[in-house]
Formats: sequence, structure tokens, C-alpha cells
Amino acid sequence: MRSETALEHHVMENGDTLKFAGREFRSRLIVGTGKFPDHRTMQQAHEASGAEMVTVAVRRVNLDRTQESLLDYIDTKRYALLPNTAGCYTAEEAIKTAMLAREVGLSDMVKLEVIGDQRTLFPDNEELLKATKVLVKEGFVVLPYTNDDPVMAKKLEDAGAAVVMPLAAPIGSGLGIRNPHNIRIILEAARVPIIIDAGVGTASDASIAMELGCDGVLMNTAIACAKDPVAMATAMRHAMIAGRLAYLAGRIPKKLYASASSPLEGIIE
Amino acid sequence: MKGLLDVELTVNGKKLEVTNGATITALLEELQINPLRVAVQFNQRIIKRELYESTALQAGDMLEIITFMAGGSQ
Repeated sequence: MRSETALEHHVMENGDTLKFAGREFRSRLIVGTGKFPDHRTMQQAHEASGAEMVTVAVRRVNLDRTQESLLDYIDTKRYALLPNTAGCYTAEEAIKTAMLAREVGLSDMVKLEVIGDQRTLFPDNEELLKATKVLVKEGFVVLPYTNDDPVMAKKLEDAGAAVVMPLAAPIGSGLGIRNPHNIRIILEAARVPIIIDAGVGTASDASIAMELGCDGVLMNTAIACAKDPVAMATAMRHAMIAGRLAYLAGRIPKKLYASASSPLEGIIE
Repeated sequence: MKGLLDVELTVNGKKLEVTNGATITALLEELQINPLRVAVQFNQRIIKRELYESTALQAGDMLEIITFMAGGSQ
């Protein structure tokens, strides 16, 4: 049984959930399944993160059956599966991978990745847009991974993406949100949820994303490769809620000079 | 996979031998793969699960059996 924090309760009371394509999630955090020290740690980290959606890669079955199945460690009644097209370099490959993923019968969502460069893992937006159009037509719920480019975000939305997922920084870099101003521009124009995908390094990065008004954050390396993945997952859970509440609360404007918070009257002489 | 082996297939890039006339269901069973956790591409086309039982394998057939693995991005 998932224990609910007081903050989560507050969020729920106010109906502040992540919604897209007829689905609803209490948690705005999406966690990956890669790079964990072992499946058991991954399972505990997922639990600690409070996430309700996890992303998985689509790969050939290992024929020698020496490896344990990842699906033994994910309760698919509790976690929505978000298959990804990681490792695809063309629209054609990504479409084929998405089609196979859907055939498994556990999800019709796809985190669409079409990589354009091996060293930066930046997306190939031309191929991404092509694949988005085809998969939307095929009835998929498409969540494309893209740059922090407002023009591209709009094009993906117009192509029917259910969510647009701009990167904060390169995948696995842990650099945090490198261009918060672009993210703000994307958010201003968006009519679909904007979920930050990739680049988060630590809890404050997740909070900043949420404070900017993003609808969610997807992360993998920051949790899986932390010294203590379960503790980091817990930190991320709280960071997401803190950031979201701060966004909803409305921060004070930044000012150059001080303004006293104690009354100036009645000062002892 | 030993016995009356007379048909050679390519499964996930590897050569495998199965009994002539074996179905996709039989192949998955032989490989101890849970059909509910995979998707199969049969000679470049995705094949529906309902057809595994009635699809007999022939020499030269190419199959890709995929599942979900650990991975976040790239």
C-alpha cells in the first residue's frame, strides 16, 4: 500500500492531477527502468518515487533465458507502462519499434525518441515529426522527446502529440534545466502537457521544472545512478510536489532591493 | 532444441532448428517465452497473437521476438 504524504493529499484534494489522452495520474513524475544496480533496487526506487508511470525499452528477447524478466519487477496494475523507442535513428525504425511495443498488449502509449547524434543524443526533429504524424494516425498516444525549441514543440502539438517532452539537458548529463527561458516560452504556447524529459541531475532540478509550470518530469539516470537510488527517488518525489505547490502558490517577484518583513513602527529607541 | 530437427529458422538474428510444421506457439514454448509478454515479427510483418497457434514455421523463416527491457532513454 502506497503511503501518501500530507502534500500529496493536498494535491489530490485540489484535483491537481496530470491528465492527457483520457488518462489521469496523481504523480507528475515518470521514472525509467535503466541503469539501476539491480531489479530489486529499481522496484524499491519506483515505490519510493511515488510514480505511477515507468518507461521501458523495446528489445529482442534474450533467447538463453539467463536474464530475469523486467516485467517480473513491475506491477502493471499499479504502473502504467510507457514503452520508448530509444536507440532508433530514423522515423521508420521508431515506427516499427512502437508498433511492436503496442503488440505486446500492455500499452498504447509511446515515448517517441528519434536520435540524431550519438554523442549528444539530441533528437532528429525532422524524423521525429514524421514518426509522430504516422503514429498519431495509427492511434497511438504519442509523447515525443524533443529539444527545448518552442517552434518544434508547437509543430509536435499540431501533429497530434498527446504530450510534448522537451529535454532539460542532454540525456544522462545531469546538467539540469539549461534554458528555463525557452521552457517558459514553450509552456506559454502549449495546449498539451509539457513534461521535461532528460537532463535532471538532482532534486532541485525537478523542483525548478515544476516551479516553471511544467506538467511533469521524466527521469532515469538521476535516480538509477545516484549513490542511493531509493533515497534519491524519495527526494525526487518530494521535490516534484514542492515545485508544483510553489508554482500553484505563485512566487513573489524578484526585486533588486530589500523590503523589510518586520514593521518599522515601534522600533525600540 | 534437439530431436527430429529439420527446419532452420532465424530467430532474433540467431539460427535455430525446429521440427518441421512447428507453430509459433510451439517455438515460444520451446524457448520458455511467455507469449503474453512479447510481440513477434514474422518475416518482416507483425503477427497477431491469435495467429501464433495456426502459423506453421518453414525453412528460412525470420522471426523477431521482442519484449520490454530496462531502459529510460537511448
